[in-house]
Amino acid sequence: MNGRAITSDALLGMIPIVLLVAIWQALISFGYAPITLLPPPGQVFSRMVQQLLTTSFQQEIAATLFRLFTGFSIAVILGVAIGLAAAVNPTINTVVRPIVRVLAPLPKVALYPALLLLVGFGHESKILLVTFDALFPILLATYHGASTVEQKLIWSAMAAGTPPREVLFKVVLPAAAPSILTGCRIGLVISCIVVFLAEMITSTDGLGHALVTAARTFQAVDMFVPLITISLVGLILNGLLELTRSYLLRGFPEA
Amino acid sequence: MLRRAAPLLVCLGLLVVWQLASLVLKSDSFPTALEAIRAIPVVLGDKDSLVNFAASLRRMAIGFAVGVAISIPLGLSMGRSRAVASLFNPLLMVIYPVPKAALMPIIMLWLGVGDISKTLVIFLGVSLPVIYHSFEGARAVEEKMLWSGAAMGLSSTQRLVRIVLPAALPEILTGCRTGLVLALITMITSEMIARQSGAGNILFNALDMGQYDTVFAMIIIVGAMGIVLDALFERLRARLVRWSEPQFDIPLSFS
Repeated sequence: MNGRAITSDALLGMIPIVLLVAIWQALISFGYAPITLLPPPGQVFSRMVQQLLTTSFQQEIAATLFRLFTGFSIAVILGVAIGLAAAVNPTINTVVRPIVRVLAPLPKVALYPALLLLVGFGHESKILLVTFDALFPILLATYHGASTVEQKLIWSAMAAGTPPREVLFKVVLPAAAPSILTGCRIGLVISCIVVFLAEMITSTDGLGHALVTAARTFQAVDMFVPLITISLVGLILNGLLELTRSYLLRGFPEA
Repeated sequence: MLRRAAPLLVCLGLLVVWQLASLVLKSDSFPTALEAIRAIPVVLGDKDSLVNFAASLRRMAIGFAVGVAISIPLGLSMGRSRAVASLFNPLLMVIYPVPKAALMPIIMLWLGVGDISKTLVIFLGVSLPVIYHSFEGARAVEEKMLWSGAAMGLSSTQRLVRIVLPAALPEILTGCRTGLVLALITMITSEMIARQSGAGNILFNALDMGQYDTVFAMIIIVGAMGIVLDALFERLRARLVRWSEPQFDIPLSFS
């Protein structure tokens, strides 16, 4: 793919977004939507810039990011560890499989009230919810990646005298890396969504709380700002993960 | 035999762990598993709550059906045409990290708290994974089959329906399965935000009023709905695409 094709693709991709903003503006300009219900895009974006510069809004973002990262990191560690263990060890596999089968399709948000009652209204309940939700995609992707490692690679490593424990870290883990990173990407998007939802349900800070406060006082402009912010946070984090991915997978074909 | 019974055993095991934990913790806000199970008939026996459940399920079914009907053709055409893909990809990437249920307060301002807003939110929640998986599925279709189809005089629409759709079907159904769990989650969260009717309304009202038996009974009911719906869909999937092994035999659930 040459540079020109990429630019034209990017331009093409801008069309729906620009169109959406244009329709948004048109709805207001032609008087279909009252400004109290649908603030004009210009007003929303200027409000957003203004908000981003205030310390209180920065603190909301910091609170959200803290919960997101803690929950996501725990999910990555647990997910990769359990996934690898289940792929390598048949005993662990038979135990983990049915548990995951039952827990994965469970709507975790419904567990949130239970978490609230058990660990309180602070950071912990939100972090736990993020961990629960992000865990399964990462676990499953790791398991899938590790269990489809080519057997020949493992045999060659063992024939070359690598002890079994090192085969796990030197062969299986790197070979499963593309799959694990795909799982992490899904888990990351989920984390963004879940942390926001948890903050909407009960919280005293964070972006989700900012949205709820705005909704309760019918500040339509302030309702759009947290939503656009979480979308931007998701995009930026996704971009960072892409960079990590292309760094970690620099030896892989079509990474 | 043991394989089939394993998920049931896991459910039982979880309930036992819960029972023991609650006996150890002895907290007012954490009823024992038996108490929660005893509260289930009380919740389900109430005529109002049955009406609520029916309303929830109807919204979920409509949102899911419309979401699937629109997303599959869109995803498939994105997978087959680079122009369509680069047209929609950035838009979808922007929308992805936004929690769909968080749009509820804004949509409520325009469409009211009724069925339309909730169904719309469910529709949005279902669409993204189905689009994504259809896109991936359509992209992986073997070119040779399409060339043969074209050589035999199929038009591009016919090729899409008769070659791409069946070839991508396993992947599409994986997306639908994720979408189904998502529809349930979005249903609960949307009802939690617009407390007017539905299962989420019962759950979070009970939480606010401190009726902890009901909270945990509802968690069991919603969890069971998730697991049963998923198992039913898995049956259907196995029938529709008998030729293909599931890549993940457990869905990746999103929020």
